[in-house]
Amino acid sequence: MKNLKARGVNVASISYDSREVLRAFADTYKLEYPLLSDVGSKVIRAFGIFNTNVSEDNQMLYGIPFPGDYLIAPNGTVRDKVFLPDYQYRPTVSELMLRNFADDSGATAVEVVTSALTARISLSTDRCFPGQELGVALKFSLRPGWHVYGQPLPDNYQHVDVVFDGEIVGRQSFEFPPARPMMLKALGETMPVYDGEFRALGKLGIKWSPPPEVKFLGDSLGKRIEPGPYKLIGTLRFQACSDEVCEPPQAIRFELPLTLEADAPPAASKAD
Amino acid sequence: MDTKHNAAVINDMIRRYVAGAADIKPQDWTEFVAAQNDGYRTGPEIGEKVPDFTLTDQHGKNRALAELMGPNGLLLVFVRSAHW
Repeated sequence: MKNLKARGVNVASISYDSREVLRAFADTYKLEYPLLSDVGSKVIRAFGIFNTNVSEDNQMLYGIPFPGDYLIAPNGTVRDKVFLPDYQYRPTVSELMLRNFADDSGATAVEVVTSALTARISLSTDRCFPGQELGVALKFSLRPGWHVYGQPLPDNYQHVDVVFDGEIVGRQSFEFPPARPMMLKALGETMPVYDGEFRALGKLGIKWSPPPEVKFLGDSLGKRIEPGPYKLIGTLRFQACSDEVCEPPQAIRFELPLTLEADAPPAASKAD
Repeated sequence: MDTKHNAAVINDMIRRYVAGAADIKPQDWTEFVAAQNDGYRTGPEIGEKVPDFTLTDQHGKNRALAELMGPNGLLLVFVRSAHW
């Protein structure tokens, strides 16, 4: 939330709840942003995200939207949006901020330093709920004369790559910028390379943890993940070469701290 | 997209959940979630103007989109409910 304020981005939520329900909710969870009451779901319908699968006689669910976030620019247009149909992954605001404002000030970071490069790997936040998707920022700085490889590559070379693993890691994806073709005289081949400074962004989903209310389902929806401090382990793989020589491919392990919070109601968890 | 079927699946699950959830199997739950998400839509596309609106906030104050907007934008979060 502090990130957003510092960036001049306001926050508001919308739901079909009455003002009284929202007031009680905001008071309980000490929420300071506007919670907007869309009784009758008029605005939800206007946005085109009214969930038509629920029938009117369903008192609990009728009127709900397909849940998601819009980052709206001052001119009233959509700058970005995050909608995740998979109930097991919810976005974090920090990932949206990282993607839109290159804001890694909320980050925990680790640096990997070798003779050929420095790689800074940071998470968009150091705390989240199981099931949330974090942003990952990679910042590389190659020493003069050195390069690493992008894709596609012949088999015996290692392209630059970051992979997280461990029990709480769900799906992950990274977007690297296009590598530039470089004619490597020593090899007599043109290969896709990165040199100098470059960045990449990624998303990392933390496995969803079934809340206590559905413990009747046992482990079938996944193992319960207890709140508390965790260490996210990852591997940075690359092969660094200069004009004359290639180092052997490297696989360097690193870790980043991440605190998993205890379950909270959906609206409060969006406040991250 | 068979909304009648989806509605029935959704209603049935809520009924069973409220009744104590004793007989709910994992595949039932997965079907319930799928029924809710069928025909999933995400609204205005990037670059499109969002509908203008004015809604009451938790304090009873009328808030218009223009007034909610920050200097660099507004993060508008659509949630399913505040009380469940």
